[in-house]
Amino acid sequence: MTRSVTGLSDVDHAIINRALVAATHEMGTKLIRSAHSPIVREAQDCSAAIVNRHGEVIAQSDLIAIQLGSIAQTLAPCMELFPPDTLKDGDFFINNDPYNGGQHIPDIFLFSPVFFEGELIGFSASVVHHIDLGGGAPGMNPDAGDVHQEGLIFPPTKYNMQHDWNGGPLERFIAANVRMPDATIGDLNAQFAANAIGAKRLSALAAKYSANALDEAMSEMLNYTERRIRVALSDLPNGLYCAEATIDDDGIGTDPVVIRTQIEIGDERIDIRFDGTDDQVPTFMNNPFASTVASAVACVKSVLTDPDIPFNDGVARVIKVDAPLGSILNPRPPAPVRARLLPSNRVFNAVMKALAQIAPGDVIAEGFDTTTSICLSHLGEAGYNIYLEILGGGYGAGINNDGCDGVDCPLSNCANIPIEALEMDYPFARIEAYRLRPGSGGDGKHRGGLGLERSYRILTDGVQFATYSDRFRTSADGLFGGGPGASAEFVIARGDEEIRLRSKTRVVLQPEDLLIIRTGGGGGYGAPAERS
Amino acid sequence: MRVGVEVGGTFTDLVVIRDGVVEIAKVPSTPHQPDIGALNAIDAANLDLTLISDLVHGSTVATNAVLERKGGRVGMFVTTGTRDLFGLQRQDRTAIYDLHYRKPRPVVMREDICEVAERLAPDGSVVQALDEATLSLAVESFLKSGPFDAVAICLLHSYANPQHERAVAEIVKQYAPDLPVTCSCDVSPEFREYERASTTALAAYVQPVISGYLDRFVVQLQENGFDGRLSIMQSNGGRMPASGMARNAIAALFSGPAAGVVGAVGAAAQSGVANIITLDMGGTSTDVALIADGQPQLAPQTLIDGLPVRTPVIDIATVGAGGGSIAWVDDGGLLRVGPQSAGATPGPACYGRGGTAPTVTDAHLIRGTLQPKSFLGGSMEVDRDAAVAAFQVLANSLNLSIEAAADSAIRIAESNIVRAIQQVSTEQGLDPRDFVLVPFGGAGPLHAVRIAEDLDIETILVPVNAGVLSAAGLLMADYVHYRSRTERTLLNESAVASVQSILSELAKEAAAYLDEVGVSGTRRFEYIVEMRYVGQAFELSVPLEVTPEQLTFAHLFEAFRAAHHRIFEFSKPPEKPAEVVSYRVGARAEVGSFAFDSGNAVEPDAMQAPLRTIDIEEGGATIVCKIIPRQAIGTKAMGGTILVEDGTSTLYVPEGWQVRRDNPGNLLIEREG
Repeated sequence: MTRSVTGLSDVDHAIINRALVAATHEMGTKLIRSAHSPIVREAQDCSAAIVNRHGEVIAQSDLIAIQLGSIAQTLAPCMELFPPDTLKDGDFFINNDPYNGGQHIPDIFLFSPVFFEGELIGFSASVVHHIDLGGGAPGMNPDAGDVHQEGLIFPPTKYNMQHDWNGGPLERFIAANVRMPDATIGDLNAQFAANAIGAKRLSALAAKYSANALDEAMSEMLNYTERRIRVALSDLPNGLYCAEATIDDDGIGTDPVVIRTQIEIGDERIDIRFDGTDDQVPTFMNNPFASTVASAVACVKSVLTDPDIPFNDGVARVIKVDAPLGSILNPRPPAPVRARLLPSNRVFNAVMKALAQIAPGDVIAEGFDTTTSICLSHLGEAGYNIYLEILGGGYGAGINNDGCDGVDCPLSNCANIPIEALEMDYPFARIEAYRLRPGSGGDGKHRGGLGLERSYRILTDGVQFATYSDRFRTSADGLFGGGPGASAEFVIARGDEEIRLRSKTRVVLQPEDLLIIRTGGGGGYGAPAERS
Repeated sequence: MRVGVEVGGTFTDLVVIRDGVVEIAKVPSTPHQPDIGALNAIDAANLDLTLISDLVHGSTVATNAVLERKGGRVGMFVTTGTRDLFGLQRQDRTAIYDLHYRKPRPVVMREDICEVAERLAPDGSVVQALDEATLSLAVESFLKSGPFDAVAICLLHSYANPQHERAVAEIVKQYAPDLPVTCSCDVSPEFREYERASTTALAAYVQPVISGYLDRFVVQLQENGFDGRLSIMQSNGGRMPASGMARNAIAALFSGPAAGVVGAVGAAAQSGVANIITLDMGGTSTDVALIADGQPQLAPQTLIDGLPVRTPVIDIATVGAGGGSIAWVDDGGLLRVGPQSAGATPGPACYGRGGTAPTVTDAHLIRGTLQPKSFLGGSMEVDRDAAVAAFQVLANSLNLSIEAAADSAIRIAESNIVRAIQQVSTEQGLDPRDFVLVPFGGAGPLHAVRIAEDLDIETILVPVNAGVLSAAGLLMADYVHYRSRTERTLLNESAVASVQSILSELAKEAAAYLDEVGVSGTRRFEYIVEMRYVGQAFELSVPLEVTPEQLTFAHLFEAFRAAHHRIFEFSKPPEKPAEVVSYRVGARAEVGSFAFDSGNAVEPDAMQAPLRTIDIEEGGATIVCKIIPRQAIGTKAMGGTILVEDGTSTLYVPEGWQVRRDNPGNLLIEREG
């Protein structure tokens, strides 16, 4: 550990370290508990973090890995436009621009500068997947040809609570342009509340240890994570390792979209490139570069390090990521990006397969690893009612364990919406089954996790279904002799008719339709003959 | 004669009041048959069972049944299409970067779950009626697939209409009249099917174990002439006659920590202190709770081994920092303590039972804040050399002296506890400086002052016999029973009448339950409404300070708004609507007061006490420290550095702080000057 210039002992460092992590957990918990939309309060599609005054992420709530991976990239353009010395109390930054460090339109990042005795000591940050931000269709627009059809873009901008919120111009502007204003404003208020909590905890630490000591402790947290990642990498043989992963199609055609990775391990560093990856696509499945970085880094962290290493910008000092401009992993604007988690997941898979060559005991087989986004919407007399839920599938099996059944993909961590909560809030549908799919996990010494089935009886006229998913044709590969997981399918049972749907689509449903969603299983690990 | 017996993981503690005099006993627990330990404690205290009028018992039987998965085999009925709800759970992971993640293991096997063709809507209306003839056949054949020890029933939306669950229960009773049946509409009548089903399954799962245990215990007591009253501690901080508990076993799941909190509240009350933060440090973990106005807060939901339980539990935060917690250095060079613990076996290195890892207890022995003679009042041998050897490796890798490594490990453990206290105070919008810290358990008083310093707490109160306070808490516990109901009501002027009548009905039901299980005496009632803004999903518990008759719209709304602001740092403009989601009423029958005899009505002369001094190593300095027996602390304050020993625990009073005894016999530690 480097010597302290502010008089902090090693014990002080350890204590501040844990206090900052605890503060982000509290931010995350209170964000969820005060939020309005089921996608936040039940499914927990949100994250929170504390950032130092230099814009580096120090501590994060363990909620959604993909959101956490790009908080610093989203803040950086804000700080460039509005330097710290121009900030005052009550200011906040907003950014959801996929071409300015953001991910996809629904994820709004809010940053609140934190002052102590008039001095900037850091930022509290939160991100929420908002249920609807306008755009060409409620909740999700699978037909979008560009990012402008996907909803309101908030470029990196500074606003002020007193001036712009609580009935002010920004709040009124948002409320007028989204389909469920009460939910959206309620969820934004939950973000502001989380940021206020983070600010309070950060100030309390500055009061206790001094602003400079706190800054030193935060820098040391980055060093600490960097050290731990370097230690983890030092066990790996240097060399170049390549792999690829595939998406079924771009949503229109039938050709697979391929993601190729080349991982170079050097002395205590890792460079991840995606040369040869397919070009960007005309549909909403492009991966903003921030998402590419976040996915690759999340995979390396998951495979090589102890789960308890705090995830912060110390990671970025060791892991470098690059993807060709114009590819699906670094698209040119204004390519649409709503379903970016599909390529993100394949980035995760490709990196994992490359690492399997050198860390076979730490990796797992491919899982279903597909964000299956189910959006049902209905326009009634009281306005729009939009249901959005992310369904998981089976995890890949590991060296000592069967894959986890029915769980969200590794890059995300959305909980389900309880049947009882869903039916209370969305009277247009009833759940007739929510179960695991027997036999859907790949065979192996250890079996892949099971996919799941959720079926919705449609109860009223005019219900729209929009979705994206994958692995309808390509299933999750087994590893070291393990078998593949079952693939996914969407079916509408309408009377005696069975209508099969594409994996990325939008349709209008009829009353009495039964919409059946079946997600895939994970791949097995090791030959089935070795199963005990 | 009144007796409290608390079975813990390592020790079984007993407190007896005989002719107004208090005595204590401590014996090793017998984890495989906890009742033996309890009877051993009664033996050790030389008690004549025929003379015991009131025996209160707390144990970890229910908790262990879950942790070790040794509960009964439960057959469960659920709505068609939901049989996998324990396999699916909530679809999320508690460790997001753990690729080898496993979900918490359910207590009911998939093959023991039977789907019932029926369906209700969220408002309780019937979508698909139960066909009793078909159901009857299905139940009969399902029960044959057993044998089951208990039956659980959880049907969708039963919180809004219990009829279908009741109908299934009736049919089960026809075929198996002796099987205990638990309905989700009774255990947890609230929405979110997984959490409700988990609670119901756990209730059914522990029921046979608790009933069996209590039956056996009662028989043994009676064989030895006991004909007094036996009651059992509940997680909500109240007691229940054993007969009532045999029907509601899940209420005992967290009784151990609850008993300690009740003991701390009772001890502090004798000193006129009502706002406290409790600090119960044991072998593997520390429990902390915040009590405002002498009233422990209840949490509506908690987890056991990752499984949700929705039944009122005293709101306690637990952190893996105990005497047995292991100190280690991670691969980033950071010193960590816990959550791994050496537990009771092998235990700290100094216990000489095969443990070699450095623990917090070993650190104290090295630092000097625990003396070889202070373990169990000197009746237990410890090996300081083993503690030193255990810390040697750690000291080397941190490049510190052994003493500094030990001191650092203690500081880290204390900082972990500080964070748990912040969770129950600052995170709830409450300032720890407004509270008195009440440490107990074997190790709580050792750490209390340093923890108080970190939180700027000014006063610490150490109860008499702090090491066996949980057993004393059993004797202080009132009889308590809670009733709850979910009924969403938009809050406005015209809703007040309905709120009032629901609260009054619940109060009647709770009181009637106490009558039914034979509890007499005056009742006191607590009224709690769970509220939120329309559109939110999680409620805030708002305790009412008035009776239902006195309740007004303004009072309800303002109480909610203030609670929301306190916790979330904001509240909405008054025109934004709020709703009441559920109601909870507790009926309480008091059992009369209880006080430890301080044992020294005469003012002691500390100078008369045999004075020993030792050197301790703290914060890089060697400090001369006096060791003083508790009886020698008088009403005149003495300044640190002092170790105060009472045979059940050790109190550390560092420099800058002073200790004195107050009238009821509690020790007060305050800043000097």
